[in-house]
Amino acid sequence: MNVLVVDDSRIMRNIVKNALVHHPRFSSAECFDAGDGAEALRIIESNKIDLVLLDWNMPMMNGLELVKRLRAKSEYAKLPIVMITSESAKYSVIEAVKAGVNDYLVKPVSEKALVEKLDRLGI
Amino acid sequence: MDIAHIEPFIEATVGVFRDMLGMESQFLTPYLLGADLKHEWDISGIIGIAGDSKGVVVISFTAELAAEITSVLVGHKVASDDPDVIDAVGELVNIIAGNAKKGLEEFRLSISLPSIIRGSNHQISWQSDVPIVGIPFRTASGKFHLSVGLENIISS
Repeated sequence: MNVLVVDDSRIMRNIVKNALVHHPRFSSAECFDAGDGAEALRIIESNKIDLVLLDWNMPMMNGLELVKRLRAKSEYAKLPIVMITSESAKYSVIEAVKAGVNDYLVKPVSEKALVEKLDRLGI
Repeated sequence: MDIAHIEPFIEATVGVFRDMLGMESQFLTPYLLGADLKHEWDISGIIGIAGDSKGVVVISFTAELAAEITSVLVGHKVASDDPDVIDAVGELVNIIAGNAKKGLEEFRLSISLPSIIRGSNHQISWQSDVPIVGIPFRTASGKFHLSVGLENIISS
């Protein structure tokens, strides 16, 4: 399984990656890194990515914009995208779901919460 | 001072320290900051707020506590001048500001990317017409400070 972790914070990318691969079910996942939405888009277009774990507030291209661009392309219509963000207001969750994320986690995120979300998505 | 709209920031800070850093923190009495107030901090993370209100959230640390917090986040000891300290402080203020929005949902607010200022006794100049509330915190590892200003929401 190829997982792309997108966050402008290197520390957060490592926390999310460690939370994921620490779980036995995802221990063999290969993780890709991106620091912004533009870099993430390049990685997605050049690699077979099975899951995107995505921050919202980032430079260059934010997470919401990336989601909209991906969902506008038929080849990424079903790519699982989970937003992991500090944005906690309900209107933000609604906006992200309308843009096309499959699920949403508010930071700080635990391994348990992340795996539960992925379970519910059937990943 | 009306602190009803400050509570989401306090709750967010206590929650982030507890859930992300495993640190208990207690807030002390909030107070109104004066303009260009000198302080004891070595590093500050700053986030701007726009939308239904304009304002700022600033978290400030000593170099030692910033390094300790970063060490917790990265899983090994780092020095206070390690580049990861900037990342850590920026991410902390980002999560605090973002988490606080849940308690302010009647206002549609957007938060900026964080900026970091580093240096002992650095100065932050506040927008003069927005009251800035200072909230001191303490932990077992030392003190830190949150400053919050929201135009027409947090009043003196």
